[in-house]
Amino acid sequence: MSVIHKLAYGVKHILELDIAGHNLVPYPDDTFIVSFPKSGNTWTRFLIANLIQPDRPLTLLDMERLVPAVDGQTRGFFKAMPRPRIIRDHGPFNPQYKNVIYIVRDPRDVLVSAYNFSLKGGIIDESFPIATFVNGFVTGSRSPVGSWGENVASWLATRGNAPRFLLLRYEDMLSDTARELGKVASFLGIKITEERLAEAVNRSSADNMRKLEKMHGDEWAQNKHMKRKDIPFVRSAAAGGWRSILPESAVGEIESAWGPLMAKLGYELSTSQVVETGAMNAAF
Amino acid sequence: MIGELKYVLKCVLGKDLGGRYFTTFPDDTFIVSYPRSGNTWTRFLIGNLIQPSGPITFLNIERVIPDTSALSKSYLKHVPRPRILKSHQYFDPRYKKVIYIVRDPRDVALSHYNWQRKYREIDDQYPLERYTSRFVAGDLAGWGSWGEHVLSWLATRHNSPGFLLLRYEEMHAEPIRELGKVADFLGMKATQETLATAVERSSADNMRKLEKVQGEKWVATLDGLRDKGQRSEIPFVGKAKHGGWKSLLPESCVDEIESAWGPLMKTLGYELARRSSPAMEPPFVHLGDWGARLNQPTC
Repeated sequence: MSVIHKLAYGVKHILELDIAGHNLVPYPDDTFIVSFPKSGNTWTRFLIANLIQPDRPLTLLDMERLVPAVDGQTRGFFKAMPRPRIIRDHGPFNPQYKNVIYIVRDPRDVLVSAYNFSLKGGIIDESFPIATFVNGFVTGSRSPVGSWGENVASWLATRGNAPRFLLLRYEDMLSDTARELGKVASFLGIKITEERLAEAVNRSSADNMRKLEKMHGDEWAQNKHMKRKDIPFVRSAAAGGWRSILPESAVGEIESAWGPLMAKLGYELSTSQVVETGAMNAAF
Repeated sequence: MIGELKYVLKCVLGKDLGGRYFTTFPDDTFIVSYPRSGNTWTRFLIGNLIQPSGPITFLNIERVIPDTSALSKSYLKHVPRPRILKSHQYFDPRYKKVIYIVRDPRDVALSHYNWQRKYREIDDQYPLERYTSRFVAGDLAGWGSWGEHVLSWLATRHNSPGFLLLRYEEMHAEPIRELGKVADFLGMKATQETLATAVERSSADNMRKLEKVQGEKWVATLDGLRDKGQRSEIPFVGKAKHGGWKSLLPESCVDEIESAWGPLMKTLGYELARRSSPAMEPPFVHLGDWGARLNQPTC
């Protein structure tokens, strides 16, 4: 950073107009919606936004205010936000987060989604081999939030049994959205009728979110700086897409890196004897 | 407002402390532990290993193995690479090579209690029982609880090639052997003599002597370090022993620690004092028979 940039940042900091990020001061009554990127976090945020603000149908821009991303709003914004706050983050374990809803998704589907997201951002083009991509994905060498396995394990090992930790599986959310959102509501201490729950689910359908993305996509923080406007943010919103898309070698690489953890989370492995030879157990 | 201005000015000049968010490089090695787990001793050992020409003291340790929470971002940036840095951070994905030191939490609690007295966080009358509850809850410092800290690293990195796990107690029993592991990890060829000299120069006696003479000039024990100052009559270099909890820690405190982290402690080879065995294994961590392996000779 040049001195000019630093000075500009300094002025912003004094005015609290700098992006909160790791300068956020968490309160003990904050709830954090945490996941590795591309694991259904935006959908969950939209579901929760519709849960806590049922008066009218919401847009994606509303969601950015109601359930803001820690790196999407200024420090001043977070300071002025009414408590208790609900905040999104993608980071690995953070001891300051006292109430955490963690979403986990099959890493093979996360990989497919991450590949598409990198296309959308213009980081790679269609000629980029998925075999190379999978390698960076597994080592997490360029990920600021750790690899998928590191991110997931850091939270589950530290908080997996803690009372103020709710683990959601993206796949369970797909198969019974109302039930899973009900868990979120009781975690947040929100009393809610079946009708309101169904309405929030309805308003957060992939179809509706696709429509909303078309309407406000260019203004929406998630899309603003993306190179490829032709690739949507809201994608297939399905589970198991990796089966037809991922080459066997890529599947093998993921499963040998995280086999035991995947099995523990209920993700069936397609290559055999992985559990015995997986990296986490390699020494034994 | 004045405080903010000072902070901003420090940031602009790069004089703010490294903390969690300084620039890292892929060839960095980090010496990581929960506070009061033998980190400073390990720094002396490694410092004396990599700089055999002159012994490590409290006057040169920050140059050889800088402390990321005591030095500024710009200082850290200009340390010649490859750097070996000291850190108390919980899991950080940017740390690619990590030497992690773990110590019996019952001894850590006692040592941390004394450390808090030294830095005037608590007074001498502060009940150990109340202190232990806060220690277990992890609200004594920004590092998370002992269990969270250890698990955050073991669950993510245990068994990966860039991770070396050391037990403080084993370092005591066999310092030369354990320092040999560090030398291997750093890709150094070290003779038995080099290792023995490094161990000798890092002895608790020697470190205590150095602290007496140099403590006032060391960044961690400077008088003006904190607003509250610090009590120089309580040394930074503690007893450097293990098992002290058996005679000094009240039974209820031992119970509280063991019921919070019993399974993890057992996995790490720390025998539990209470009879009733804790019900649950730590979730999602596969340490296998690592605990049993600790007592086997290394080849």
